[in-house]
Amino acid sequence: MKLVRIVRSPSFALAVIGFVAVYSAVGAWLPWSSPGGRPAPAWAAALRLDHPFSAPPFLVAVAALLASVLACTWGKRGRILRLGRGELPPTAMCLPPRPGADPGAFLRDQGFRRRGEIWTRCRAGLWGGWVLHVGLLALIAGVLVQQSLFDTGLFELTEGETAKLDAPGALLWRSRGVLARATPPDVEVTLHWFDPYASQEGYARDRLSQLGVVRRGHDPVTAFLDRSAGIRAGGLQFFQAIPTGYAVNLDVPGLGRRSVHLRPEMAHLASIRLDDPSGRPARFLLTAAGSLDDPMGTGPIRVELEQDGVRRALQRGAAFRFGDRDATLLSVGRWGQYTYARAPGMSAVFAGFALVLAGCALLLLPAGVARVEDGAIRAYLVRGGAALAADWTHDPPPGAEDRRLRTEGP
Amino acid sequence: MTESILFWTATTCYAAGTVAAVLWLAFRSDRAGWAARALAGLGLAAHAGALGLRWAAVGHGPYATRYEVVSADTFVLVAVWLAATLRVRALRSLAPIVLPLAFLGMGWALTSFDVRYTLPIIFRSYWLYLHIGFAKLFAATILLSAACAAAYLVKLRDPTRFPALPPPERLDLYAHQLMLASFLFLGVMIVAGSLWAAQGWGRYWGWDPIETSALVTWIVLGIILHLRVLHGWSGRRMAYLTFVGLACALATLFVVALLVPTIHNSYLVGRG
Repeated sequence: MKLVRIVRSPSFALAVIGFVAVYSAVGAWLPWSSPGGRPAPAWAAALRLDHPFSAPPFLVAVAALLASVLACTWGKRGRILRLGRGELPPTAMCLPPRPGADPGAFLRDQGFRRRGEIWTRCRAGLWGGWVLHVGLLALIAGVLVQQSLFDTGLFELTEGETAKLDAPGALLWRSRGVLARATPPDVEVTLHWFDPYASQEGYARDRLSQLGVVRRGHDPVTAFLDRSAGIRAGGLQFFQAIPTGYAVNLDVPGLGRRSVHLRPEMAHLASIRLDDPSGRPARFLLTAAGSLDDPMGTGPIRVELEQDGVRRALQRGAAFRFGDRDATLLSVGRWGQYTYARAPGMSAVFAGFALVLAGCALLLLPAGVARVEDGAIRAYLVRGGAALAADWTHDPPPGAEDRRLRTEGP
Repeated sequence: MTESILFWTATTCYAAGTVAAVLWLAFRSDRAGWAARALAGLGLAAHAGALGLRWAAVGHGPYATRYEVVSADTFVLVAVWLAATLRVRALRSLAPIVLPLAFLGMGWALTSFDVRYTLPIIFRSYWLYLHIGFAKLFAATILLSAACAAAYLVKLRDPTRFPALPPPERLDLYAHQLMLASFLFLGVMIVAGSLWAAQGWGRYWGWDPIETSALVTWIVLGIILHLRVLHGWSGRRMAYLTFVGLACALATLFVVALLVPTIHNSYLVGRG
């Protein structure tokens, strides 16, 4: 019971909220927290702080927050219902009788309405704190579901290329929750069309793609996507990522059509190192007369294969020796990068957030419950008790010339 | 040209309104108080015209350059204050704080004049309007809350000094109500931004410095509101805590974007 008392105490809630705030602020500023930042140092990895927002201290704090909110919410509904029936808590304020003053008229002037023996103002506002706490519970539970079941990954495609996401090597990167499926989703994605510098009216040039998605048990989908909005298909969402580059498309006997994605090295040069079919190291190079990132065009380009210190120029449609077989350079194209995502907890997170905000909106109402007892006023106000007491004490009340001044809040 | 005339009209009105508001506070001249409000209203109308013409000319709302952002923030501050005075006349007494802030805001906007015709494609989203709209409402309400807290401290020091100001209990209450509103607006801003990010990038949260700063500000405001509601804090120390909330808000809205690279850089430093 002592533990429950501690967990439901405001001091515990404040301590946990404060810890989460400070931890978040520090965690987000760690140099290795930002995407593409430098790697975490050994001491951070040893303390499992290399990923601060999935590290044990953070998860424990979130769990403590859930416990605190749950304990705080428990019993709150009953207290509000009792309050609505006029059962004022011991902490209710008491305004002593004032000679010549009419408590009923004063309460009416303050925006209260009589309901039998009880005077109430903005009753819905009494529920603000409860709605807010239920929202927090939904939000934190949603975060736990999301962190347990989310699945996201990164892949690249060249125009005309198809990737099975669960095939080995199809994903460049993947991140998933502890309870998500170990294998990537069994989805087949084809890039039908890609323009890295598509022009859309009113906006700067940016990526625009047409993806086809096929998954067993789902309708096949072919749709355009850009960086302003993804597409839903096969029970997943797909999004356009920023990186792009050049690809050489090959026909390799025994391996079929292969797309080799080159990485930019300099403004005029892109290349990639790989092993040829016989296992020997090789390097494809693409050089252009102009910048490879010039939306207006690169000028003439040249594709070469470098092996054993010798560079050979490759011609489109011509065969060349590639390891132990003769491959053909089919074309040069652009690859685009895409992410897929599955976020099963986010509906609960946003439902929770909506409840939190609804709770906040209700808290804006100047709710209160009051009773008149022998000329005295006993009142419980969500806030503004001091202002109500000051109005009762002053004769005439401050701002009496302006009724709205005294009725907009308690 | 017309936009410039309207912008300068608004700036002049805010400047003249500042003078009138100070005269009202110092000498309790009702005529000066009326003049301050009238000038604020006139300035707001001219300001709305300037923003509208700019929107029509560049084809997008006031959210792409520092000039547009600061000018629109100033507009929302004055608009929210004037709207609040219609409901709570006592808030008229904040004129000596709001109007100088508006004048300074216009000055800052003017020093960073810039035009940007094309936007990043990520800006093509309805969530953008919610995200930015509520950011501006958040900025306006937290500033007004701090203004109430400042007026509270002034009034507390010598209750007889500025009779035009409402009683301290009222100012304390207004500061609290405005902070509650700012907490709500900041929450909507965060959620709208998160949904916008999910729509475009497939991730709801990326621990970007400004995202994190907004979350920390929301938590700090939550702690301050908790202290008032659960621990009964009010008065002088709550007024100081309101300034802490304002400092967090200013850091989120202006300082972080100017100091570190974030995905939010574009609205204040013109890149990103």
